[in-house]
Amino acid sequence: MRPVCLETPIPPEAMAGLHVGDFLEISGVIYAGRDAVLPKIVAMSDAELAARGIDLEGSVIFHTAVSVAGVGPTTSSKIEIEESIAPLSARGVRIHLGKGRLKADSIRALHAHASLFAVTTPSTALLTDRILATEIAAFPELGMEALYRLRVDRIPAVVAIFHGESIFEQQAQRG
Amino acid sequence: MGISSEKLREATAEALVRAGSSFTPGLRAAYARALEVETDERSLWAMRQFLENADVAERRTLPLCDDTGIPHVLLEVGELAEFGGAHLGAITEGIAEGLKRLPGRPMAVLGDEVQRIEQSQGLSLHSEDVIPPAFSVKRIPGDRVRITVLLLGGGPEIRAKTYRIFHKHRLETVVDEVAQWGIEAVRELGCTPAVVAVGLGRTHFEATSLMLEAMARGDLERQTPLEQQITEKINAGGSGPLGLGGRVSVLATLVNIGPQRASGVRIASVRTCCGIEPRRATVEVG
Ligand code: SF4
Repeated sequence: MRPVCLETPIPPEAMAGLHVGDFLEISGVIYAGRDAVLPKIVAMSDAELAARGIDLEGSVIFHTAVSVAGVGPTTSSKIEIEESIAPLSARGVRIHLGKGRLKADSIRALHAHASLFAVTTPSTALLTDRILATEIAAFPELGMEALYRLRVDRIPAVVAIFHGESIFEQQAQRG
Repeated sequence: MGISSEKLREATAEALVRAGSSFTPGLRAAYARALEVETDERSLWAMRQFLENADVAERRTLPLCDDTGIPHVLLEVGELAEFGGAHLGAITEGIAEGLKRLPGRPMAVLGDEVQRIEQSQGLSLHSEDVIPPAFSVKRIPGDRVRITVLLLGGGPEIRAKTYRIFHKHRLETVVDEVAQWGIEAVRELGCTPAVVAVGLGRTHFEATSLMLEAMARGDLERQTPLEQQITEKINAGGSGPLGLGGRVSVLATLVNIGPQRASGVRIASVRTCCGIEPRRATVEVG
């Protein structure tokens, strides 16, 4: 199956044709953050976000640290990360990119906001050439756990949760 | 002539970099076996990504994963080797040097005891500040020193479990329980296919040490019937690489059985290692 190429900011019409199990390639500017910073982003007002040049409409948040060692997905079901999924979807985040299964509440929240959860392999070495630029977008004091803005070229992923369906639940039922 | 501290330092640094940037031949062979039996499109895609990533990491000496793990050291000292505290210092320095070279992720948590728990003082900016826990030491024949460096990622630590099994003196009870823990772990881990490392001992400490030794020494190419049985039971759960479905949730199992207590209880330590683990490398100096 050929991957669907998506460019940020992702317009609603680009989301409409996607399904659980689709292969994606994501390009453009995305945000990267994890346990420490995502609750802080949730707590910020639109004006505070705008002051830092952060626009969540049509955006992608990659659940990863950013460090000299590179990037790679962290477990998205860690409480602070999973709790950011509903409020950030409500504010325009269209793709949450990470790894591992999510709870029923998150599946419902994603559905309500027409956002999706995608997973990617921990391919740090492979991604090295696909991260074209990185800069800190907010909370530099958090070091590798700050919010980063990344310019990326074709990050591979698979749609895991969308339209109220979860690929993980399908496996659990079969297993 | 005694063992050179300088050689120990350099060999340890080299082992750490190799552990963090390459697959062992055994892990490659386990993937090759898995690709032969898998039919699911997403599962094949994920496993090929793991392998392609390992190729790039090895060729360019880059970290396999941005979670470069917590370094653990298994030390085997020849009974005829002259080995002392200065040598332990050299190995510790070698770990720090290896983390600088890899580079390791700067993830040492700063502050006093409470601040470290609350992670309120942020992180060190230096890769080498991630210190290893106490080394595990064993005696071996000869006059050489063997150092194995393991890098343990955070994902498997969330899922690992050391607990008692009331086994009714039956191996099957132990196998079923371990497989059940494994099925639960691979569902949640995310970075599968996994390699399941199992230690069976008398105490929690012993079981965990045995499990670590299984990661360090276990043979991914030659699987015992017991190891195969655990792998098959977990794979029957069907969660597949990344949890996306497929026949291969587990590439192999590594079981290490130690002395046992005269009792109806066995202590099992089960670590569902992720698809880039065990990240291990061994060097000998002498
Ligand atoms: S579980 Fe393993 S592969 Fe996944 S992020 Fe952690 S260390 Fe990397």
